[in-house]
Amino acid sequence: MKKKQGFKVGRVAIPVLGTFWLAVTTLPFIFVAFMSLKTQQETFVNPVWALPESFNLSNYIEVLEGSFLIYLRNSLFVITTSVVIILLFSSMAAYALARLKFKFSDSLFALIVAGMIVPLHVTLVPVYLMTRSMGLYDTPAGLIGPYVAISLPISVFILTEFMRQVPKELEEAAMLDGCGPFKIYWKIFLPLAGPGLSTVAIYNGIMLWNEFVFAYVLTSSTDKRTLPLAVWDFQGQYASNVPAIMAVVTLSALPLIIVYAIGQEKIVNGMMAGSLKG
Amino acid sequence: MTQILLENVEKRFGKLTVLHDINLNIENGQFCVFLGPSGCGKSTLLRMIAGIEETSEGDLNIGGEIMNDVPPAERRVAMVFQNYALYPHMSVYENMAFGLKQAKTPKADIEKRVNEAARMLQIEPLLDRKPKQLSGGQRQRVAIGRAIVRQPAVFLFDEPLSNLDAALRVHMRSEIANLHRDYPEASMIYVTHDQTEAMALADKIVLLRAGPDVTTKGSIAQVGAPLELYHRPANLFAAGFLGSPSMNFFTVTLESANAEGAVVKLSTGEALLVPVSTEGLSNGAELTLGVRPEHMHPVDDETSGQVIRRKVRAVENFGEYSHLYLNESTEKPVIAKVAEDVLKVPEKPMAFFVKPAACHLFDADGEALAYLPSVPGPHELSETDAV
Repeated sequence: MKKKQGFKVGRVAIPVLGTFWLAVTTLPFIFVAFMSLKTQQETFVNPVWALPESFNLSNYIEVLEGSFLIYLRNSLFVITTSVVIILLFSSMAAYALARLKFKFSDSLFALIVAGMIVPLHVTLVPVYLMTRSMGLYDTPAGLIGPYVAISLPISVFILTEFMRQVPKELEEAAMLDGCGPFKIYWKIFLPLAGPGLSTVAIYNGIMLWNEFVFAYVLTSSTDKRTLPLAVWDFQGQYASNVPAIMAVVTLSALPLIIVYAIGQEKIVNGMMAGSLKG
Repeated sequence: MTQILLENVEKRFGKLTVLHDINLNIENGQFCVFLGPSGCGKSTLLRMIAGIEETSEGDLNIGGEIMNDVPPAERRVAMVFQNYALYPHMSVYENMAFGLKQAKTPKADIEKRVNEAARMLQIEPLLDRKPKQLSGGQRQRVAIGRAIVRQPAVFLFDEPLSNLDAALRVHMRSEIANLHRDYPEASMIYVTHDQTEAMALADKIVLLRAGPDVTTKGSIAQVGAPLELYHRPANLFAAGFLGSPSMNFFTVTLESANAEGAVVKLSTGEALLVPVSTEGLSNGAELTLGVRPEHMHPVDDETSGQVIRRKVRAVENFGEYSHLYLNESTEKPVIAKVAEDVLKVPEKPMAFFVKPAACHLFDADGEALAYLPSVPGPHELSETDAV
């Protein structure tokens, strides 16, 4: 009897909780999308949750006619370059930590992983000073260094687990086939770490796409800033163009939503892969 | 000429000695099998020859050249792994061609060699497939193909059949034997824990021991032709390891010695003549007598002597032969293997005749006592003493 009751509770509770969670996660986005279609006047007159009076794209046009595309270009440049460097460095480090025998490799791995718990904000001032002294302040390229640095610990952690799962015999077969450590990494481990690399790329891509603090501190000119700062254009000291800000937010989130929709399976599989074996 | 010479080779992992005092000579074109229980270091020894495991001490000589510090790819060896070790992201063709590409072999040459190997192994239709689309047997063929295309001087096999089912194992075993025939110049070293494989394939068996005896007696228990190891085991370990069911052992005392050999007495009173030299041993010395189950022949007439009398406590019939489990105080069962069906456990004790030349005698250290020169060699023994 008890078992049957528990089963019933589960049948009701799971969909209810699921729907609740769906609402929590999607309502803000629906709110943002609807708000972006309203005129500024509507936001003052109508209640916040009221539907837009018409399908009004003027906010989008205004945003796209402004500096949005420059921000987008900067974001694409910074994030693509950062992710490529992250993948290259973290996969090489992961291969070395997973497979090459050297003194203190375990301690080094622990130290790298410990990097994950360093609060980002603690590093702001030193990173700002270093960027200035290197002459990279207010350049999109100046963001690449800090972005790579903050992403490496988690990336090395994920990829090391992946590389540990590659059978040792493949490495030995490659040695017999005439490969040295770098070729083994390049020809065997890198292709086999494909799902891990996608996970790392997507995870860091999303995180860096939304990164605000470094972008805010290390850049100042409009033509050097990245997307999370685009909102700034529509917010003055005394007034904010809320619908336009919402249009910026929608447009900024769109590439991520598309990437996630395409790569969702890989992200989930990648996150799971380490936990399935041993 | 690709002779492989190992001199005083040793392997240690930290303080643990895994292989000790390995001295071995594998001739050109020889099929040598490393056999032994798990943990004896047979795979480690193979991997040391391949170059993927370092040698702690001693010299490894392949084709007249010391190879201790030579990279694996330059040792002219090719290895077939237990779990095939095919690159999952490459097609069968790419797997086979990978080593040649690394060696910068001309493309036309690579194509020719891969196609030839594929034809020989009947895997031509599979060349475009990925390893995961192949069955176990097909994967093993590809792994062998990958070794063949490199035209090595030495083929190394690390338990290549242990992942296959019984029927396929027998089939692939004969294919490996064919490979040896097709490449008579190449030496082959094959690691297995399966004595049937070792007996079927080897020209030479290297039997390795595990445990504390490794540091005192060395890793190699015995080296020789399969039948030599079977019929003339050099020590108790070799005697007990080869053969299924394994050799029966009895504690005996030396009664007397004469020109025909030693007369030993079992604790149950039977006396047996064993044609060995007992030089250095005095009467009353405690020894171990070994008799293979198939060398214990049931007899009605006990007048000729040379018999062991025991009551049968259980019977196993296999159709082709039967096992009689005999009453013995030892922990390990004593078994007689007889050719006929035994449908009922006999009530009366039975007498088993043991030919003198089929008896083995071991001293207190477990070393076999040498046979007298007049005793027939292993081959004559196997013909005349068959069940």
